[in-house]
Amino acid sequence: MRLFAAILRRRRKSGCRAKSPGISGFSELRPEGKAPVPEKTIKYEPETLLVSSGKSFFNSKRSMPPAFRLILLLMLITGISSFQNISFSQQTKIQATAPPNLILHFKATVHGQPLQLHKNYTNPFGETFKPDIFRFYAGKISPAINNHAALKEFRGGAYHLIDFSDSPSTTVRLRVPEGVYDEIHFLLGVDSLEQTSGAQTGALDPARGMFWTWNTGYLSLKMEGTSPDSKEPFHAFSYHIGGYRFPNRAIYNMNIGTDNGQKFRVNKENTTNLTIRIELDDFFDGAMPIHIRNTAACTTPGDTAVRILQNFAEAFTGIEIPGSP
Amino acid sequence: MKAILVIGLLALCSFFWVNIPIPFVVPKGFPPPVYNFNKNPVTKAGFDLGRKLFYDGKLSIDGNFPCSSCHQQFAAFATYEHRLSHGFNSQFSYRNAPALFNLAWQREFHWDGGINNLEVQPLAPMLDPHEMAESLPHVIGKLRADKQYSALFSKAFGSPGISSQRILRALTQFTVSLVSADSKYDRVKRGEAAFSQYEKPGYEIFQQKCAGCHKEPLFTDLSYRNTGMEVDSTLKDYGRMRITGRKEDSLKFKVPSLRNVYLTFPYGHDGRFNTLSDVLEHYNTGIVQSATLDSSLRKGIPLSDNDKFYLIQFLGTLTDSFFVGNPLFRDPGQNRR
Repeated sequence: MRLFAAILRRRRKSGCRAKSPGISGFSELRPEGKAPVPEKTIKYEPETLLVSSGKSFFNSKRSMPPAFRLILLLMLITGISSFQNISFSQQTKIQATAPPNLILHFKATVHGQPLQLHKNYTNPFGETFKPDIFRFYAGKISPAINNHAALKEFRGGAYHLIDFSDSPSTTVRLRVPEGVYDEIHFLLGVDSLEQTSGAQTGALDPARGMFWTWNTGYLSLKMEGTSPDSKEPFHAFSYHIGGYRFPNRAIYNMNIGTDNGQKFRVNKENTTNLTIRIELDDFFDGAMPIHIRNTAACTTPGDTAVRILQNFAEAFTGIEIPGSP
Repeated sequence: MKAILVIGLLALCSFFWVNIPIPFVVPKGFPPPVYNFNKNPVTKAGFDLGRKLFYDGKLSIDGNFPCSSCHQQFAAFATYEHRLSHGFNSQFSYRNAPALFNLAWQREFHWDGGINNLEVQPLAPMLDPHEMAESLPHVIGKLRADKQYSALFSKAFGSPGISSQRILRALTQFTVSLVSADSKYDRVKRGEAAFSQYEKPGYEIFQQKCAGCHKEPLFTDLSYRNTGMEVDSTLKDYGRMRITGRKEDSLKFKVPSLRNVYLTFPYGHDGRFNTLSDVLEHYNTGIVQSATLDSSLRKGIPLSDNDKFYLIQFLGTLTDSFFVGNPLFRDPGQNRR
């Protein structure tokens, strides 16, 4: 405040001048002797940034009648309290949600064996690999029935980062309307709206390591590890798959059915558990076979990234309903 | 006496309790800003926090490279007199540091437009191993350990907590407020000053030969163009193609604003032009032909020595001394007197 006042004061002083800043590098085209260095006047114009009300408020204090002043004070106080009310009510809103009634477990396997990070596996092409990082985004998850579209209320839904180094994150808890369903829909990756709307928080916090800083965008999938077949430094393989701009959009609308088209019921009181399977054999041996010896790294948006994500989408092999044959 | 007390009380109240909103004022003749202020309205406390962060070495791995190490106010927030900027461990940045002003009107950032929102822009230098070389969790940890910051974040955002989103939004509140619109040119446009006998013909030549890309009042149309600069064999920088992956975008770079151009030398994405006359000579005789060369530059831009002289005189009217000296944008550590 003091600073603002100081600037306001200074502005009233006329004839406050400063030297024209560094233009010494351009003397070569100036005519001899004339050197018309433009004299720049420093003009403090608070309108460009300062609070416009600050000036009028402080200037008008002398002519203000006491009653008016009191009203102003009251207004300010009520203003302050309403300000605080807003922030409090926002906090309480978040807590008022019903318990989850649909729980999804993402389960990854290699050749039918449960995946564990930092352990050696062999892909369908006989290449040994050891995954160290494996995570992907699943957003706007919704149950569906008979190929119908996802439930409306989930179209603007939350994103989940499924990270196999953090096992609780591989379980997603949802509150969905009662009903009978046979599919799960979700977005594999992050939609372009969220890709372009600035600093995000929660699952989309750039600190989660799924964000490109030099070419803004979220990865859809990150898989890293080592393989003796990789020709990259340290025999590393790294698939950083993402991109939201056409035609290199590596985001997939997933639509996974239950095994044998079985239906599952979700009701208000009980929770329904489902397991979504990911078989990494199908990731490597997909529409574009991924041989680590040929393709050990893909870290930019592009055609290869789009095709690798398609492979990953195909690796979602189905949904198990526990307790059924 | 009572009146003074009441006013004092009011001032005190507002100082401690209310985070004063700072409305964004669009300068006369400027288009509406493209930055979405709804989710991140600028406030006094948010702006002050952003400014403190901008000048704080904590955002770099070794404490030596605050944002302000490459974005210096006296150079209109570009790096003064450096082709490339210096980062952690004596490394060079990849490109010439752009000046920071009038960012509220830009949808994309970087010479190649790779950044799609002002809020996420600071992540690029912060996490680049050649520049500030930090990681987000580490920066957040350092700021959380600083009691002063906990209080400032609470004040700026209405509740305690330091997150990447809050750091980025505070920085944005500072950078989006860097508006430069008070040069002599602007005063002439407002009818408060007149061009000199040298500047006036310069302005006419500018309108004829340059304003197509360096469109008033921002002095850029924010497009990406190949201006016939040969690829540097050490940098191998193909510009926008790196972002879009499209051949058509090879060697295209964003048209920079000419505001404060006297202060932002060297020029070009790799700072290859040391003076304005070098730049003008490039357009006059130095254009290198290539498939993606801008159609307006196929024959170059013929400029006589007279043209160049007058143009440079005009470009001098784009220096905004108020902006580069504005104490509100200065390092808060140097502001106490």
